[in-house]
Amino acid sequence: MIETALHLLPSTLALGASYALVALGFVLVINAVGAVNFAHGELVMLGGVIAVGIASVLPDGLAAPGLIVLPGVLLASAAAGLGLAALAYLPLRRAPPVNIFISTIAVGLIIQHGVTAGVGPEPRLGPPLAPGLDQSTMVIMVAGVAIAAVHLLLSRSQFGRMLRAAAQDPDMARAIGVPVGLTIAASFALAGALAGTAGLLLSNQYFVTPSDGANLMLKAYIAVVIGGWGRIWGAAAGAVLIAVFETLIAVWLSYAVAEAALYLAVFAILAFRPQGLFGDTEGRRA
Amino acid sequence: MTKHLQPASVAYILGLLCAAGGMLVFGDGYAWRIAALVGLYAAASIGFQLIFGRLGLLMLAQGALFGLGAYATAMITAHLGLDPWFGVAGAIGLGAMVALAIAGPVARLESHYVALATLALAQLVLLTATHGGEWTGGSNGLYGIPPLSFAGIVIVEGPALALVSWCGVLLSLVVAAAVTGGSARARHATIREAPLVAAALGIDAARARLILFPVAGALAALAGALQAHGLGVVSPAVLRFDVMITVLAIAVIGGRGSPWGAVAAACLLVPLPEVFRELESYYLVAYGAVLLGVMVALPGGVDGLIRRALPDRTDTLPPVQPLRFGTETLLAEHLGKSFGGNRALADLSLCLEPGSITGLIGPNGSGKTTALNLISGIVGADTGHLRIGDRDLSGLLPVRRAQAGLARGFQHSVFPSELTVLQAVSAGATLGQGRAALDLVGLTARHDVPVGSLGAGETRLLDLARAVATQPSVLLLDEPAAGLTASERARLSGVLETLRRAGLAILIVEHRMDFLMAISDRVVCLVAGETAASGTPDQVRADPRVRAAYLGREAAT
Repeated sequence: MIETALHLLPSTLALGASYALVALGFVLVINAVGAVNFAHGELVMLGGVIAVGIASVLPDGLAAPGLIVLPGVLLASAAAGLGLAALAYLPLRRAPPVNIFISTIAVGLIIQHGVTAGVGPEPRLGPPLAPGLDQSTMVIMVAGVAIAAVHLLLSRSQFGRMLRAAAQDPDMARAIGVPVGLTIAASFALAGALAGTAGLLLSNQYFVTPSDGANLMLKAYIAVVIGGWGRIWGAAAGAVLIAVFETLIAVWLSYAVAEAALYLAVFAILAFRPQGLFGDTEGRRA
Repeated sequence: MTKHLQPASVAYILGLLCAAGGMLVFGDGYAWRIAALVGLYAAASIGFQLIFGRLGLLMLAQGALFGLGAYATAMITAHLGLDPWFGVAGAIGLGAMVALAIAGPVARLESHYVALATLALAQLVLLTATHGGEWTGGSNGLYGIPPLSFAGIVIVEGPALALVSWCGVLLSLVVAAAVTGGSARARHATIREAPLVAAALGIDAARARLILFPVAGALAALAGALQAHGLGVVSPAVLRFDVMITVLAIAVIGGRGSPWGAVAAACLLVPLPEVFRELESYYLVAYGAVLLGVMVALPGGVDGLIRRALPDRTDTLPPVQPLRFGTETLLAEHLGKSFGGNRALADLSLCLEPGSITGLIGPNGSGKTTALNLISGIVGADTGHLRIGDRDLSGLLPVRRAQAGLARGFQHSVFPSELTVLQAVSAGATLGQGRAALDLVGLTARHDVPVGSLGAGETRLLDLARAVATQPSVLLLDEPAAGLTASERARLSGVLETLRRAGLAILIVEHRMDFLMAISDRVVCLVAGETAASGTPDQVRADPRVRAAYLGREAAT
């Protein structure tokens, strides 16, 4: 039992690191517009599909096909994030947040079935990051670099300060000269890039299937419940917890039980600690 | 509220009759099957409108309740061998019970978690069905579910199947009208768009949910059960998110909250996959595009379009139902509240007697609004007691305090934009009482205009009227004169004078000293959360602490 768990440690951490990227992008949009992006899982799936697409035109036998496609995936998924903002957020920016919940469901449908119609519903294998090295280790490293970059961006850059100001109080931020519209667009682009990267990282060990999106979005949503609404690093930690929880229970019992237990855990947290597992009781972000 | 059908409803009924006529002449077996399916989705979506449209909650378990109904009747008939009609009844009961069970917990969540919690519930139901072994048939589902039969006719196909399904639609429309019609419309709109105001008016949101959730669940389960008997099979596919997406699309495209709109949208959307079958995935792309387009360009949906062409007849003015106010004393003792380490209010004691006006003054940040929030229960007090008459209100929810005779006006009031002035003012009362309150503030002539078309001053007076219409003993007002013109202020003074003579105990927070000092019997002055002075207007005006706190301010206002 313990041996199995240890054996699974690298792949579990790799899964957790990928989920953390998914959750980071998800929370960035929550903080930017105060709404849940139901199409976020579709952006992850789209990143995987783009990775498969670019990799298919690369010559065989490259040392690091996954790393070579990464810049292309980053750019294309950032563009997809911007497209999502233009379609689902921009026209409804003055409407209540629940409208954005629904408009992102609509864009999610368009992406999911657009991909299904375009390339077919079957699972595809994504490129390994570097075939000579252990994939799990590589995934953890790439995700680690991405998370560190986001951390630097948010904590050290002017952009990060503007982002936090706009998330806390958009009106006040606007009043002191923060370009809130631009900040929101950048959040969507960054969210898209993170989602796309996660899509690439997941695509080799778990395949890419056009219908994957909803499930990934749910994982990110649950990570937010664990971490506390709007808390960026809480959600990332929550995502890693979900991966560990899932893997442990799946090994011990079955994947279906693991899924069911995760949903039951969501109910328990919402009922007893709606501010998240790590949050304090008072400091709740509206 | 309306004894006769609205013009839009007549249009919907005529449209349906034409469609039915067309079906009778041209319909083949396939068309009848689709017509039956349209009816099932319409019924489930009408149920969804109650929660999503009326209460404003993005409850994403309606598809799961639909599937739950299908499984319930399948198991009752296949495993227990009972009559299919028992199965349908059992499904309705189960759907209602499950929805009732989630009504309370879901309502306590912050709105952005409602979608997740209900989605997780739906996933759990799906997992249970897929892994339920012999009971649910696992991933294959259950086969050989017997069809319904009525008076010896077995209902498996053609017009009979469609007729049963559309009887379900008719039932849904009647039930929806019963639970949302009349004064319920204004109550639900206020709960949805201004929950704090609703509570302050004594509108019980919990009770509304305990009615609407089970009805929505029952309608979804009914639709699912009828589908199971029509198809003869049930599989985990009925529990997939697609059903929920279709119901959500029908609700949004039909027009949020509108049962008839849901019927129209079901007629438009449900046949789409059949019409575009050769396009496979592309129709779902189109689905997403139409959903997005309606969200952006047509917020009122199909129903909004139809009602723009055929506006509802507004209510005729109801007879006045004279307002009878309670005459009880509000006694607040030693109320106190700290936020974090900051003491916002300390040891406030007030006695509001019937037929008196008390003014509450103080510089900005002195705790006036905190005092109103503690008394109305929006914020819980750290210390102190509150009574109305011999009833202890300490620790009660705002809605219970309102029901005990406490009413409150709001400084920044919210009115649901879909309502007329008369509907809005009657949100916590009957239309006759609302009319009486409109008479009181002089807005009767404007009773049938949309509430959004009132001017700023009129809106403030409407807020006062809405609180007064609930026939309170005690009335709390937060800066009622702010933003009023001189003539409106004079009208307000007159109204307050009338209310005092009618026996109301009134507490007013106000910045306009001239206005307040002229009408108050007593004045309490707060400085930095403490009661600095209390007495007649002249005594308070002469008090040195008050003069110190206000030095230079009185002249400015």
